[in-house]
Amino acid sequence: MQHVAVIGNGVAGLTAGDTVRRLGFDGKIIVVGQEDHATYSRPALSKSALDPSRDLEVSYLPEATHRGVERLGCTAVALDPVSNRVTLDDGAYLEYDGLIIATGTSARRFTDCKREYVVRSVEDAVALRKRLQSQPSVVVVGGGPLGMELASGAIAMGCEVTLVHRGLPMEHHIGPLFAEIFADVASERGLRFVDDYVTSLHETPEGMSVHLTSEPALTADLVVSAVGDAPNVQWLATSGLLSDGRLVTDQYCRVRENIVAAGDVAWSVSPAGLQRNPVWTNAIEQAKTAATALVAPGAAEPLNFQSYFWTDQWDMNLKISGAVPNTEEEPIVAKGDLGQRSAVLHWPQLGSAAALNIRMPIPRLHRLARTSTVTV
Amino acid sequence: MTTSRIELDRPRCEGHGLCEEAAPDLMHLDDDDELVIDQPEVGPEDLQAAQDAVRVCPVAALKLV
Repeated sequence: MQHVAVIGNGVAGLTAGDTVRRLGFDGKIIVVGQEDHATYSRPALSKSALDPSRDLEVSYLPEATHRGVERLGCTAVALDPVSNRVTLDDGAYLEYDGLIIATGTSARRFTDCKREYVVRSVEDAVALRKRLQSQPSVVVVGGGPLGMELASGAIAMGCEVTLVHRGLPMEHHIGPLFAEIFADVASERGLRFVDDYVTSLHETPEGMSVHLTSEPALTADLVVSAVGDAPNVQWLATSGLLSDGRLVTDQYCRVRENIVAAGDVAWSVSPAGLQRNPVWTNAIEQAKTAATALVAPGAAEPLNFQSYFWTDQWDMNLKISGAVPNTEEEPIVAKGDLGQRSAVLHWPQLGSAAALNIRMPIPRLHRLARTSTVTV
Repeated sequence: MTTSRIELDRPRCEGHGLCEEAAPDLMHLDDDDELVIDQPEVGPEDLQAAQDAVRVCPVAALKLV
């Protein structure tokens, strides 16, 4: 293998490129990145970036160590896996022996209206923060962790905020126990909840109108949509690599013998079925596995890592190691008091642990999560 | 023999501890969850662990110079 092409320069692409080099690959690495600047941490965009008490500080990641050629501000538009060629948006071709697909995802949105904001890129976060400084009224659509973090940021900046979500916000991501606590705190801070589905958004002379399934329409100066992300696979449409529109890898992040994929773009086969888990630690682990499978297949081990999720909102911090605690199993309170909204909880059967508003390093949280014996 | 040095931007550190998980011989969070760099000078034998630790920080608080 002489030429490795990495398509995507987020944390997955960056880590994959570095790992390829570290494994002793001495050929040429070329990295294609849509964004024309250095790689940064995305999780921080919806957390500290909207904190009015802090200057907006982009968390740029340490520079690549892969000594490759970077083509930034450039997009791949097609792939021909038979002739091993990627077509770029400037019409150039890129030939490869090994290909790493790490094109990430795009935020889903309802319209192209300027008053509908999303947060996926650093430019998105900068634009929203700037707009929120004039304290507009805001409707946040979507009650996942991103929507709740953005609602928290908007309220901290003094905006009047309504969040539309069918059901209990974040229940699917953090389980009902924590979801109820966060919903309570958000209400105390002035967030208004509307339990409904959004059918459409419309721009009006005054702002935005948010149409719902059963409730009357809402109006606001602007809408922030946090309704999930869609993998950037349009450029693979004619490649023959997609199944049902999805880019699916095996447990070694392989798509074909000389093609691997990592990060939010990829669905992977796991013992629990097909899954896509677009979180920070997963992107990094996938990138390492993918790079190894590509250039040192003998050394590759199947993806197997302890899931880690965290959120910061309403001046609260939650960290979860392991599966989402959404079982009937009663947690053990390892430390603190849940009534005080400050506790470390452990679900031994589930293999999960969580720290709410208690600083707890991840290695310790992982160790607790993996402890199967119940200590009384 | 070339060595690199791990630098910590302490105000950025949020105490996730993913770095300790990646390089437990080089750094740890103390009982107050403050990050302690036990071995700031990194030789070739620890370079990989140090790079992993720096890369995994979600707030980019670590640098390898």
